Amino acid sequence: MSLFGSLSVSASGMSAQRTRAELLVENLANAETTRTPEGGPYRRKDVVFEEDPSVGSFSSELTSAMGSSASGVAASQTIVDNSEPYRRYMPGHPDADQEGYVAFPKINPAEDMVDLMGASRGYEANVAAISAVKDMIQKSLDLFR
Amino acid sequence: MLENAGTGIERYMNLLSASQKLVASNIANVDTPGYKAKDIDFQSELASQFDNLAPAAKEVTGLKTKNDGNNVDMDREARRLAENSLRFAVATNLARSELATLRSAIEEGKTS
Repeated sequence: MSLFGSLSVSASGMSAQRTRAELLVENLANAETTRTPEGGPYRRKDVVFEEDPSVGSFSSELTSAMGSSASGVAASQTIVDNSEPYRRYMPGHPDADQEGYVAFPKINPAEDMVDLMGASRGYEANVAAISAVKDMIQKSLDLFR
Repeated sequence: MLENAGTGIERYMNLLSASQKLVASNIANVDTPGYKAKDIDFQSELASQFDNLAPAAKEVTGLKTKNDGNNVDMDREARRLAENSLRFAVATNLARSELATLRSAIEEGKTS
């Protein structure tokens, strides 16, 4: 029954949004981090979503081979923002360079907060879809009574 | 009579669950670059003679495409989600009353 497939589709959406939220929270937490294992300041990370036709039941894979089906979503790639970091003049800082400038991560907290709201709303939308489908499955089960 | 009980409703419920799956997929892909919203054409699927085949998913026309090539309209998907759920409730109630008719036909025939 394809209703159970919709549950896994929505679940894939929830997990993708959760991955995105995790990275955004990491960005916010590291907005002032000047030291990383790779050296230099922290770099902003973000995720790229990709359609994932393999999510769902066997029959959905069969129909997706025919080119028309519902597909889930997957966080396919993490991208790192390699643009130039901000430079602030702080001569007393341990990570200051010869001229007294410290490289800070190029992170705009407002941007990350707005993206975080988007991730949270996206998560909620998937939860709403799951509960609607759950309702439909329950209605079908009630036919046996 | 028995073999015809509820086949139309069953077909309708199958279409509704297929449509609901596409809605779930559209919602899951709301932030996927380049994704196009999909849905099934209820009228032509209900009229179709090949009711064993999986319904064909079609890209929805007339939606505004965002800068990343994605055209999922969250309001439309929310409406479809609620609509499918309500229609499914109607269909199960119809099926239930049909089954109740059948059951009473069976039970009235019993001699106690």
